[in-house]
Amino acid sequence: MKGKFFTIGLAILGGLLAISLIIFPANVQARNIKVGIIDCYSGPAAVFGKDALNGFKLALEDINKKGVLGKKIEFTTRDTKFKVDIALNMAKELVMRENVDVLAGTINSGAALAVSDAVAKKEKVPFMVWISKSERITGEKGHRYVFSTGENTAMAGKAGGVALSKKPYVKYWVGGDDYSYGHDIANAAWRNLKALRPDVEMIGKSWWKPGEPDLAPYITAILGAKPDAVIFCTGGRSMTNIMKAIKATGMAEKVPVWVHTGTDHAVLKPLGAEGPEGVMGTMDYHFYYPETAANMAFVKAFQAAYGGPPGFPAFHGYITAHLIAEAYKKAGSVDTEKFIDALEGLKIQSPAGELEMRACDHQVTLPMYLGVTKMSAKYGCVISTDIITLTGDEVLPTCVEIKKARGK
Amino acid sequence: MDIGQAFTFSALGSQFLVGLSRAMILFIVSAGMSFVLGVLRVPNIAHGSLYMIGAFSAFSLAKLFGGGSGGFWLALILAPFVVAIVALVAERSLFCHLYEREHLMLLLFTFALMLILGDLVKMFWGADYRSIMAPEALQGSVSIMGSPFPRYNLFLLIIGPWVGVGLWFFSNKTKIGKIARAAAVDREMVGAIGINVSWVFAFAFVLGCFLAGLGGALVSPMVSVSIGMDHDIIMEAFLIVTIGGLGNMWGALVGSLIFGLTQAYGVLFWPQFAIVFPYIAVVIVLTWRPRGMLKSVW
Amino acid sequence: MFKGTFSLKSLILLGAIFFVLLILPSIIPRFYTYILAVIFVTALVAMSLNMVVGHGGLFQFHHGAFYGVGAYTVALMLTKTSLPIWVCFVAGPIMAALVGLLIGAFCVRLTRLYFGMLQISLGSLIWAIAFRWYSLTGGDDGMHGIPIPSIISSSKGAYYFALIILAICIMVIYLIFKSPFGATLQAIRDNPDRCEAIGVNVKRHQLIAIVIATFFAGIAGVLFVVVEGSVFPDLLFWVFSLEIFIMCLLGGWFTFAGPILGAVIMVSLRTFVGIYTEYWTLILGIILILLIFFLPEGVWGYVLEKFGSRHKEAIEKGSK
Repeated sequence: MKGKFFTIGLAILGGLLAISLIIFPANVQARNIKVGIIDCYSGPAAVFGKDALNGFKLALEDINKKGVLGKKIEFTTRDTKFKVDIALNMAKELVMRENVDVLAGTINSGAALAVSDAVAKKEKVPFMVWISKSERITGEKGHRYVFSTGENTAMAGKAGGVALSKKPYVKYWVGGDDYSYGHDIANAAWRNLKALRPDVEMIGKSWWKPGEPDLAPYITAILGAKPDAVIFCTGGRSMTNIMKAIKATGMAEKVPVWVHTGTDHAVLKPLGAEGPEGVMGTMDYHFYYPETAANMAFVKAFQAAYGGPPGFPAFHGYITAHLIAEAYKKAGSVDTEKFIDALEGLKIQSPAGELEMRACDHQVTLPMYLGVTKMSAKYGCVISTDIITLTGDEVLPTCVEIKKARGK
Repeated sequence: MDIGQAFTFSALGSQFLVGLSRAMILFIVSAGMSFVLGVLRVPNIAHGSLYMIGAFSAFSLAKLFGGGSGGFWLALILAPFVVAIVALVAERSLFCHLYEREHLMLLLFTFALMLILGDLVKMFWGADYRSIMAPEALQGSVSIMGSPFPRYNLFLLIIGPWVGVGLWFFSNKTKIGKIARAAAVDREMVGAIGINVSWVFAFAFVLGCFLAGLGGALVSPMVSVSIGMDHDIIMEAFLIVTIGGLGNMWGALVGSLIFGLTQAYGVLFWPQFAIVFPYIAVVIVLTWRPRGMLKSVW
Repeated sequence: MFKGTFSLKSLILLGAIFFVLLILPSIIPRFYTYILAVIFVTALVAMSLNMVVGHGGLFQFHHGAFYGVGAYTVALMLTKTSLPIWVCFVAGPIMAALVGLLIGAFCVRLTRLYFGMLQISLGSLIWAIAFRWYSLTGGDDGMHGIPIPSIISSSKGAYYFALIILAICIMVIYLIFKSPFGATLQAIRDNPDRCEAIGVNVKRHQLIAIVIATFFAGIAGVLFVVVEGSVFPDLLFWVFSLEIFIMCLLGGWFTFAGPILGAVIMVSLRTFVGIYTEYWTLILGIILILLIFFLPEGVWGYVLEKFGSRHKEAIEKGSK
């Protein structure tokens, strides 16, 4: 009896759902500009996805006051749960059913590459990648319909290489998360460092499972090998773990360490006083630096709206929204090809100064801030200090290198 | 790396301790899973979710009690009980009605539970990374044989065996423990002599989840407490329980030691391939002893 | 136990369904064509799993590993070699079956839960290798833009290709199901000791069933590459394998067509509920719980029980 009731209920529900989706396919009102966002809102990457969305929404509040070409920009999100097949399904749903004009998102590099190829390129819908860091997105796998508003591993590697080349260290140990992001950073950093300083030597490598909770054994092994400096290539999940392990073993006091995104506030803030000092890190955005009027205004508005300072994903989301708006304005109509042409070479003002969407590879010329962690009484945690700025031009691969990577 | 350096007594010794301390957390978590597996004969796929709830509860409790050292100890003691309550609620309201059913239904239930708990944690605590600080006394490191050994790992080395002893005492010396072990082997007989088997199962499930919560609370100062922790630990617990012998708690200890030590030494000698070590160790053990190293309970 | 012998009524029904599926792409929006293609692929992998779970009673917990092997094989061959398409397509299931044979040989030594846990361990090793061997497999970035001829990589093309292959596979699986081999397998599922006693080589039968099932899983893997054009390590991950397992249980693992329904439900739920909320796993979990309590024989099993009297006895025997 219960079973019958349940089945009939399920069937009716399913039927209603199906009918509602077919009859009301998607929002087909006064055709606003639609942005479809695929991102990860579950699992350890969710904190970044949420941050990016918040930055995007904040920008839209301003943009929609005046509108773009007489329309507003609206958006809809889909949770990919950090799975590539779900990302593909959702991206196709957004393009084929919701008929979005632009796709944006995600943090998972595998998903970004998959969607870039199967959806952006195939369906000819522009895809703005805002957190994924794989250099392949705008490098060897880049094409007309994909853009990146976040920094990538090539840029991070160059920044690290440039920064470390100025130091006297010769013997390096490289360690990191055992997945493509970790390896990409390591390869990019080493490539650049070795080019600038042929005398440097890699005395060993360690790779651990992403998210590995106990990194002490790795650190003790590395310390035992007595390198001059250590390069850590960790992703978001292991960042806290490595910071805690560095603090617990006192590593930063014994040997210099460089970690890309080691100065990420999302990681350092929860650590509070437990954050290690003396760790070198590179980031492409800090809410406390530079203290320009534009940045301060952005941070203030973000703080008021969301209760905390913006992180780098929020910054990327914010500039993505502005890039989309300005590109459509420049294009003069909601036409994809004109939009792309307008985007290429487009310059906008941002909290970090003027940025350009480079035409040759569709990568935004983001700066890199290299700093050292130090305890801040004001923020109750360690922050990046003694910051040196590397401009976008200094860290991006050259257009010639990009062309070569794409096999042209 | 210079292989000569790897063989110094100091390096070998400190890696041994480090591997051992890692094994302690694995042991606590997998012992819980093994216990449930032994009595209920079903691998609890939601075990990782309860571990995650333990970590988050520890975070919230520590914050509630002021965030200092005292707060941490209180959180550590109370968090597993929070998890136990969650487990009890799930068990008494839903799980217990399924005991007479086909085995796979129980497995399916634990999978559904994992899905539900995962999203509930996200709803309740949000997506941000949290962090707990270990108490003052356990911060920093001591120098053991020339290498820095984190004090917290030392703490784990002390706590682990005590948990093991407590478990042994519980299952061998207390009445309820003995009944649970009997039910693992022959539930019909236990029912026949008038004991309410359903309550025995409830006890076993809650105890197993208590241990998962304890593991989560213990690991929390070392990691970022975030959603997704459930997926990380469940595979390791599965593998450990498989190589240890299903349902055998000493097997869980042996399995954890194998895991912890192969990883610690693997890191020393072939740090490039650390990610595959656990799986290779498992394949080797299971080729040699397909039913696990120690006798399974059933 | 049988979905329906070839009675006229069943044949007409099947024919009608097939006809509808053939003309659907011309009337429904493109997205639904794509989702149906995904459902076809998933249905095939679920059916292949049910060959060993439902018909064979084995706890095949990591079936996804073979599916992934099939997908990766065809992807690797298409991108790294210049062998003709058909060779690559056939290599996928063959490779999957070989891996199935290897892992199966390891696992059949054991029964029930041990079998399942051992398989998870070995399958996870394959996952770790695919994940780590970046230079070959692209690691967690996966491989994308796999060259598939455009007639079958377009939305409609992929749909028809998947539909036809699925239909053929279902027929073959059905024939195996009804063959003496299939009957023996089900007998082994119900009472392995008795079968052993009457001289049936239980282990060998199970191993053959595993090889066949993994072969079909490999075919599903190839179809996946055709529909999506990418491969990634998620396909080899244990969570996905459990999902396929759930599909079989959801649909009704004692029925023949149950897994297809299970696949339809899971993919639809995931896609359409996902449009409205990010908490769709919570909803999936709740539906599963409801199903466990109210429909233990699975949705299709329940339908059969209600509307097919000759199956009642078989279902009763099964849900005990």
